[in-house]
Amino acid sequence: MKKLLTHIGLFLIPILMVWILAEVFYRTVPNNYSYKHKQISNNNNDIDVLVLGDSHTFYGINPEWLSLKTYNLANVSQTIYFDKLLFEKHINHLPKLKYLILSVEYTTLSQADNTQEDIWRKYFYHTQMDLDVPLISWYNPKKYSLALVRKFDKTWKSYKDFRKEGSLIGCDSRGWGNTYLSTMDSLEIQRVSNTTAKKHEDGSMDFSLNSKRIQEIIDLCKERHIEVLLVNMPVFTGYLDRLSPEKLQKIETACEAFESKNPNVSHINFLRDLRFELTDFEDPDHLNAQGAKKCSLLINEYLEQKQTD
Amino acid sequence: MLFNTIDFAIFMPIVFLLYWFVFKKNIKIQNLFLLITSYFFYACWDWRFLGLIFVSSLVDYLVGLSLAKTEEKAKRKTLLITSLVVNLGILGFFKYYNFFIESFQEVFSLFGRSLESSSLNILLPVGISFYTFQTLSYTIDVYRKRIEPTNNILSFFTFVSFFPQLVAGPIERASNLLPQFERKRQFDYAKSVDGLRLILLGLFKKMVIADNCALAVNEIFTNYSEYNGSTLFFGAFFFAFQIYGDFSGYSDIAIGTARLLGFDLMQNFNSPYLSRNLGEFWRRWHISLSTWFRDYVYIPLGGNQVSKAKWIRNIFIVFLLSGFWHGANWTFIIWGFIHALFFLPLIFQNKNGHFKDVADPGKLLPSLKSVVQIGSTFLIVLVAWVFFRAENVTHAFLYLQEMFSVSLFSFPMVSKGLVLFLMVYMIFEWLQRDKKHLLEIDFIRSKPLRIAVYYCLAFIIFYFAGDTQPFIYFQF
Repeated sequence: MKKLLTHIGLFLIPILMVWILAEVFYRTVPNNYSYKHKQISNNNNDIDVLVLGDSHTFYGINPEWLSLKTYNLANVSQTIYFDKLLFEKHINHLPKLKYLILSVEYTTLSQADNTQEDIWRKYFYHTQMDLDVPLISWYNPKKYSLALVRKFDKTWKSYKDFRKEGSLIGCDSRGWGNTYLSTMDSLEIQRVSNTTAKKHEDGSMDFSLNSKRIQEIIDLCKERHIEVLLVNMPVFTGYLDRLSPEKLQKIETACEAFESKNPNVSHINFLRDLRFELTDFEDPDHLNAQGAKKCSLLINEYLEQKQTD
Repeated sequence: MLFNTIDFAIFMPIVFLLYWFVFKKNIKIQNLFLLITSYFFYACWDWRFLGLIFVSSLVDYLVGLSLAKTEEKAKRKTLLITSLVVNLGILGFFKYYNFFIESFQEVFSLFGRSLESSSLNILLPVGISFYTFQTLSYTIDVYRKRIEPTNNILSFFTFVSFFPQLVAGPIERASNLLPQFERKRQFDYAKSVDGLRLILLGLFKKMVIADNCALAVNEIFTNYSEYNGSTLFFGAFFFAFQIYGDFSGYSDIAIGTARLLGFDLMQNFNSPYLSRNLGEFWRRWHISLSTWFRDYVYIPLGGNQVSKAKWIRNIFIVFLLSGFWHGANWTFIIWGFIHALFFLPLIFQNKNGHFKDVADPGKLLPSLKSVVQIGSTFLIVLVAWVFFRAENVTHAFLYLQEMFSVSLFSFPMVSKGLVLFLMVYMIFEWLQRDKKHLLEIDFIRSKPLRIAVYYCLAFIIFYFAGDTQPFIYFQF
């Protein structure tokens, strides 16, 4: 028995060392989660506008082009579940907040909890954004080790990115995702539109859970006299054409219902906005820096208009 | 709790250390510990179904004791029927209720009538088909006086719920496993090392082969209408390896885990894709299930010791039942039917018993004859897998229709790397075909080289593991 345990122990030493190194890497190298947490926690006294949502707002709304002091707390694959947790965590420390911008995309309302990217991202929200995530049980070992969360090839890729770029932070000091700078040709974007639309189709038309969460965010804003701006971010028409028209209609109806039911809610729909052209898109459903500037300026125009009204 | 999770990586060492260090001295306490850990292991999925395992175990334990007390034929038969009704009743309700209701409704609607009965929202308890067959085998063997019934309730309950093989087999026989609970287990270094190798191999098969194939399979089977015939062929090819890696990987981990605890479970897979005919395939694929059907269905029906017509009937009964065992869907039944159909030539040519040894023993390369035989057997198995994987019968036929179209000869849109990887894997299986498993590498004299092989496998697992997919056989 002793011999077996010794051999297992010796065999595991290199594996444990790699694990420890990965853990140190995740804990010490700043990434979007830890950076955004630090930024929002330290610079919250004068924020007027807070942006939440997934990659569409993360890359698509650049606070630089908004005249009010804005922070973009959106992140890649951030669901309403985490939008709500983040908002509830920070609302008490945002004394000047006037506007909350919340994106409602094709997957936002039907997204089930703990699926797809949530499966690993939730641990980063817990560990690096100091969120109490009810989806994670206390006896889950991944709650205590980020190295266990991601597969080794992903960790290795992150490490290589870090070596190459010198950082894992993909956003500027105001939280905007500043790495989408390119564009696609018309053939390529049509081809990618097909796969992206397919990837985004979860087959669910059940909006009840996430609608309830949005309403709770709106109610919280109402109490604090904060205006909520629901935004359907611009997407490439080829992508839009491949989505379910019934579901799109239902999403737009749901947003309009939020607007009509709640006096503090406004809704901007950029989905079929012809002002956005091929060169504004990084890929079928994400704006690049040029598109983000255009979108942010339009939102700014809208907010300025609201302020003068 | 899945074998390929961190949870199990924490659970197993704790069980191992407590089992050998704390509870070693008293076999009863050791068994009680195994029973508690087994029930805990199962409860991690759904504690509500623990009651079903308990009921199955209790009924068969009591039936076994009662069978020992009576020689009266009628009474013995009644006891056996009681066990069959309870066990198959539970299995039938949870697994087949909706299937029968919906099938009857469809038949009635064909005749323009409607059947007023609604299907229920029933959750399928994990592993129910496995432990039901295991506990049934005990009662049938006691009834046939092949084994003595046990009066040790703790051993029996642990035998039924033994966690390494509780949810997906191998379906053990009481004659093999039950006595192991009744005698003192001795720690064996060589056995434990082999157990660890099997766990490593099982993780490789599941996390690298099955989970990587699953991605391609899901895409191709879901959007089959968008792909050409050759891509669909590879979709089925990948599924063949997904299900093999998934199920044989699970079995390897189960057998390896049991070995660490001092138990020997039966081999469940033995390089099935190197089979030269379907008879050999079924001696190498899901061995514990095929031998179960052989011993408790095929032979009682007369096996091959009857007229040819009845023999064919027996073959069809066994394969159709085997298909139905997998799930309440016509796709599984057709899968069984295809195997039965292609089994017929073996009966007519009396070749069923051929190929009991490995192909081309002692040779490095296969003969042309073996290549043709292995290839044609694999092709039959592959076509049958399409039914096994398809959502429904229509889906399967449409898939096959497209697969066997002219576009079968066009260039496939699949990952060449994955195809190459699977080919390389099969070369290793070929080279190791006379061994009990792929990692039986004691012939490598150099210890550092053997360790390098283990590290290499561990690295491949960590680096190339696909996105975690649930074990396919848990749904059965």
